[in-house]
Order: sequence, then structure tokens, then C-alpha cells
Amino acid sequence: MVPLENYLVLSAILFSLGVYGVLARRNAVLILMSVELMLNAVSLNFIAFSVYLDPDRILGAIFAVFVITVAAAEVGLALAIVIRLFRNRATSNVDEAAILKW
Amino acid sequence: MATEVLWWIFAGGIVGASLGVVFSGSVIHSAIFLILSLCGVGAMYALLMVEFLALVQFLIYGGAVTVLILLALKLTRMGSGEKINGRQAPVGAAVALALMAVLISVAVRTSWPGDVSDRPANIAMDLISQKLFLDFGAPFVIASVLLLVALVGAIILARQEDE
Repeated sequence: MVPLENYLVLSAILFSLGVYGVLARRNAVLILMSVELMLNAVSLNFIAFSVYLDPDRILGAIFAVFVITVAAAEVGLALAIVIRLFRNRATSNVDEAAILKW
Repeated sequence: MATEVLWWIFAGGIVGASLGVVFSGSVIHSAIFLILSLCGVGAMYALLMVEFLALVQFLIYGGAVTVLILLALKLTRMGSGEKINGRQAPVGAAVALALMAVLISVAVRTSWPGDVSDRPANIAMDLISQKLFLDFGAPFVIASVLLLVALVGAIILARQEDE
């Protein structure tokens, strides 16, 4: 069977790729996609821990349900903000929307 | 044995698709790689034998979230000549590499309690539902209120105002 460390290393790689995407990309939607990668790495970690170390209480699996819920809400709101930004400024690049007023 | 082979195939697929998400030059290609990567994580949940979360992952991430993202990409169409990465990209790569080194060394060096190489136990759907509704009833209701508020807020934000 696959040991726990494999899951942890896989989710570390996923999380780091997400961090790179958030730091390097300019388009707000691409940044959001990288955030999704990071959230998925976190859920994978939660579930791997709950399966291997805590199979009776399964707190990790429950927490992953809430992570997915919050991620769905976050995606909806963030895309509404991006569409709003695009309508007002005709751009969806975060470095062109750096001033805090319209 | 078969499980391990499958695990390595899916792990390679997830890492490859995630590399595609953050390094591909086209926004639409990134979104399609994202679908692949999220479905791969769903397959990981299935390999961990957590059926409920695997189903949720496929439905919500593979379906709803990626459709939303593709829609937003279509609505915010960019010019073709724009740079896709900022000037800070090399610094971001350095930070991400350092973080990955730290996380992997922590994951490998820590001695986890319990038998971590054993076959994982099945987390059945009825166990999750019992936990969710009996022990975590209040957070569950709060999460549904959060979803409702986010939905209404998104509609108000994205609404066309004709003044």
C-alpha cells in the first residue's frame, strides 16, 4: 500500500506550484486557479491524515467538506469581483488595478 | 501492487497537469489543465477510499468550479499580445522552490504516530453523514448560510446596473 509520506509529498508539490502561480501570474482568473490548486493540496493533506492517522474520528474528512464549501463560495465571489473589475477598468490584470479607488 | 501502480500514474498526471496550469502560456489551456488536475485529486480520494469526497470533488470541482472559471475567462477576454507573467515571476519561483523543499523535508523526516504504511481504512459515506449531521450540525448550517450569502453577494456584484 502507498505510505502516508507519498500523499504528503504530492500535496507539497501541488501547494508549491499553486504558490508559484499566485506569485507569478498577472491575470486574476489565473491567480484564482492557482489558489484552487493550493486548496486542493490542503484537502488532500487533510484526507490523507484522517485516513491514515485518525480513522475513527475522521475529523480531517469533515474538515475537507468545509474546505470545499468555502472554496466554492470563494470562487463565485472572486469571479464576480473579476467581472466587475473588467467592466470598470477593461482589464483583469491585478498589477493594473493597483490603485485603491475607481 | 495494482493500487501502487495506479497511485503513481495518477500522481504523475496531477503533477503534470498542475505544471500545465501554472506554466502554460494560454489562459484557456490553463483552465483545461486545471480540470485534469482537480479530477486527478478526486481519483486520489477514491484511492484513499473516501467515496463521498471523491464524488463531491468530481461534481463541484470538475463540474461547477471549472465551468465558472471558463465562463469568467470568456467574459474577460484579454488581448493576445499581453504578457501572462509579471516581472516578479523569478522571485515567485524561488519562493515556491524553497517552500517545496521545506514542506517535503518536513513530510519525509517526521515520524508520524501509528502505522502509516498500512492499508487505509474505508471511510464510508454513512460514517461521514453521521459525523456531519450529529457532531457538526451547527458548522454545517453556518456553511449553508455562507453559501447563500456568497451567492447573493456574487449576483449583486456582477449585476448590470442601468442607471
